[in-house]
Amino acid sequence: MSHLSRAFAALAVFPLMMGAQDSDGIHWLTSYREALKEAKATGKPIFLEYRCEP
Amino acid sequence: MLSPANSARGKLLSQYVCVRVIRMDDVDVNLFEYDRNNPLYFFLMNADEQIYARYGGRDSAAVDSYLNLDSLELALAKGLELHGQWRKGEWKSATPRPAPRFPREYPLLVQRTFAQGQCVECHLIGDYQNIHRQLDGTLDKRKHLWRSPDFKVIGITLDIPKGLVVKQAAGEAAAAGLMAGDVIRSWNGARVWTFADAQYAHDMLDRAAREVKVVVERGGAEREITIQLPLRWWLTDVRWRQSSVDPRVYFDDRPLTEAEKRERNLPAESFASMVRRVADMARLMKTHELAVGDVIVAVNGVDRDPDANTAELYLRLRTKPGDTVQLDVLRGGERIKVPLRSLQMSFRK
Repeated sequence: MSHLSRAFAALAVFPLMMGAQDSDGIHWLTSYREALKEAKATGKPIFLEYRCEP
Repeated sequence: MLSPANSARGKLLSQYVCVRVIRMDDVDVNLFEYDRNNPLYFFLMNADEQIYARYGGRDSAAVDSYLNLDSLELALAKGLELHGQWRKGEWKSATPRPAPRFPREYPLLVQRTFAQGQCVECHLIGDYQNIHRQLDGTLDKRKHLWRSPDFKVIGITLDIPKGLVVKQAAGEAAAAGLMAGDVIRSWNGARVWTFADAQYAHDMLDRAAREVKVVVERGGAEREITIQLPLRWWLTDVRWRQSSVDPRVYFDDRPLTEAEKRERNLPAESFASMVRRVADMARLMKTHELAVGDVIVAVNGVDRDPDANTAELYLRLRTKPGDTVQLDVLRGGERIKVPLRSLQMSFRK
């Protein structure tokens, strides 16, 4: 996992702040089940990120 | 702020329900199957849990070799296009949904994590899946331990910001007719939109495969090419996967060149290899007395194997942790016997 910080830097497009709307204006859910519900309700696709945080 | 809401990427992301999962406790590991040694991995999908595309993938050099904001944008745009098709009934998943399986169904993983209140880290899922495979006799080390095969092994260098656009073709890929500028569209029959899609399709190949059919787009037309796969196309440097490959042998080696084998009157097809590093643990644990520069020519009298090009790889593929083997070693002009005892990683005991 020594390259993890590099990966985080590269993917800083996804801020680490969880739950609420982040500083970029993108709302990130933390619950997969909630994401399914919201996708059903809105008709949107899902962008699912798995992030291993040691 | 790399993706403000009014940027192209921000506008793409705003059309998705975005979800970040950092605990794997309740993940269907069969549906969301990937090399767990990717600390970041993404799926573009719909509310019916059908996957349009993956994003991520890696090589041995780094976790982020193929992560790029431009290629991410391409993936996000493609996901929206496929989602639009799905909503109109014009897109169907090409593969049936696998039977669900969850981390709590791996008893040893439960003991290691849930039972101790510890996080089910991504790599632990991969590790414990392999432990259970080892126990039930289904582990294929070539497939389950050497994951994320490297496209560069078959001569494909991608123009990473452009996704699956070929930047340079060499080796087997060039021999098959792949050219710079080609766009990879399918891999072994699977439609691919991202590097992660293509790498996953490559990873799913049987390790005995000797060719793969690839569809590329060139000049507006698609054409199929057949890339011949070299021996050990799946082999990558896995030393960074400290928890993955048993047994531990505590040395590194390199294959002898053909000329070096001739000089020593060794068969061209042998896995003779030269020791280039001995780990301190070998001395501490008294597992062997190999020295840098030793040439290992046989293991328990065996000097060749269709899958191994070095003695270290032969040991990892064909012996079990705890085995003691006799190595035939060339040292200072003499052929000597060196015993080696391998060990098992402590977390597997």
